[in-house]
Amino acid sequence: MSIFKEKSVFTRRQFLIGSGMLAATAVITGIFAKFGFDAYAVSQDYIAKRAAGLYNLDEKMAIRKSHENPEILQIYKDFLSPGEVSPVSEKAHHLLHTKYGREIPAMIEELHAHRHDAA
Amino acid sequence: MSTATLTDTEIIKITNKCKACDHCTSVCPTGAAKGLLGQKHYIDYKTCINCGQCLINCPFGAITDSSTVDQVNQALKDPGKTVIVQEAPAVRVALGEEFGLPIGTNVKGKMHAALRKLGFDKVYDTEFAADLTIMEEGTELIHRVFKMAGVAGFEDRGPLPQFTSCCPAWIKYAEDKYPAVLPHLSSAKSPQQMFGAIAKTYAAKKQGVNPADMVSVSVMPCTAKKYESERPEMIASGFKDVDYVITTRELASMIKDAGIDFANLPDEEADKLIGSSTGAATIFGVTGGVMEAALRTAYEVLSGESLDKVEFKAVRGMQPVREATVEIPVKDLGITLPVNVCIVTGTKYVDKVVEDVIAGRSNYHFIEVMNCPGGCINGGGQPIRHEMY
Repeated sequence: MSIFKEKSVFTRRQFLIGSGMLAATAVITGIFAKFGFDAYAVSQDYIAKRAAGLYNLDEKMAIRKSHENPEILQIYKDFLSPGEVSPVSEKAHHLLHTKYGREIPAMIEELHAHRHDAA
Repeated sequence: MSTATLTDTEIIKITNKCKACDHCTSVCPTGAAKGLLGQKHYIDYKTCINCGQCLINCPFGAITDSSTVDQVNQALKDPGKTVIVQEAPAVRVALGEEFGLPIGTNVKGKMHAALRKLGFDKVYDTEFAADLTIMEEGTELIHRVFKMAGVAGFEDRGPLPQFTSCCPAWIKYAEDKYPAVLPHLSSAKSPQQMFGAIAKTYAAKKQGVNPADMVSVSVMPCTAKKYESERPEMIASGFKDVDYVITTRELASMIKDAGIDFANLPDEEADKLIGSSTGAATIFGVTGGVMEAALRTAYEVLSGESLDKVEFKAVRGMQPVREATVEIPVKDLGITLPVNVCIVTGTKYVDKVVEDVIAGRSNYHFIEVMNCPGGCINGGGQPIRHEMY
């Protein structure tokens, strides 16, 4: 009698193929999700080339240490610490140093109060 | 006093060309580039540090930065103004790319010549200010080390480790996210702002120019430098220290618009007074460069000896976080001090280093931070390269 006949949606073969495909999809998606996949991958070689440009230029410079730059020595002797080379002088502190975060508003007020003393 | 010259302080903008591809959200170091997949993206200006990494990496060229090129051109035409210009180290190895020269070609001399042709009255060099930064920041580091060693007279100095303060994107990131680390930041300004303060005081006096008639322009590989020049405290000279900042790309477009044959220009030197520089200043543009320049000076000042070999290769490289130890003999204290240094390139990688410092777990003395991967040479104002693999 037809009432006892098993009515299956899939055959055994279809079920095995289908579940195999699902498993493969899950694994591949998982790999991309885990390790990332950037559809727009750009060459980064240019960074190393520009860096090499700067290092080559450094090697070609006659003077390679900041404290030997004659104009640096001159600006300290003439202006920042008259008569000597003494970094973090009072004038250097005023012109070349700054403050951060919540100390800034007080610093701005100070600067406005002494606007034209700098030169 | 209003000092703003940009029309607004929102420097990086995403235009309607946005295809919502999500690439900017993957390169943004702070997660400020936002948007759902398929919807036009936007920038959260509370956390944006203006680095421009999204701009140079956008596959559709949909991101732009605010420009002051028109104001610079106007100042150049005004006979009553003395317009001076400074150029950052990283500009000279990238500007040539816009004119078909190979990547990394040094066009320092042609760049100076082109700026003179554009009509700048004095062509100086940010590298001079980079040397000045090393003098100030290096001395500050030495003082902090003296404080740690218990030398009398240095009790009021800041704590160790000392962070570099040249990168305006890193500064804004530290101010926004880690206020507790601010005492560790070097109080030295960046070379750009040091140059601005010196130009309108020392240089103006030596040239006999009224600083009110001086327009100070800066060519930078960086979009965050535009923000830095607008910071309200950058008025140490009594005027706005740096009036306009243009990027490497904008300078290239100005040179093209003026019809200058860039590739065939002769090499010219920068103007004297605040235009000479050293190799130490040149390497400021690459990650590890500020560290290496500071070590060259700190070693010689502390030891009293002259270095035979000026390169500190241990601090070079392209890894996001690098560390090294340099043995420096300290003449005044009669000891050899192992100085632990750390170099971070990419703000994405700085959090752990900063959190260790705040928690007191860090044994570094000096930490260099640059926001852009590779340093300023890969800054948000540099020529855009889109060679796909």
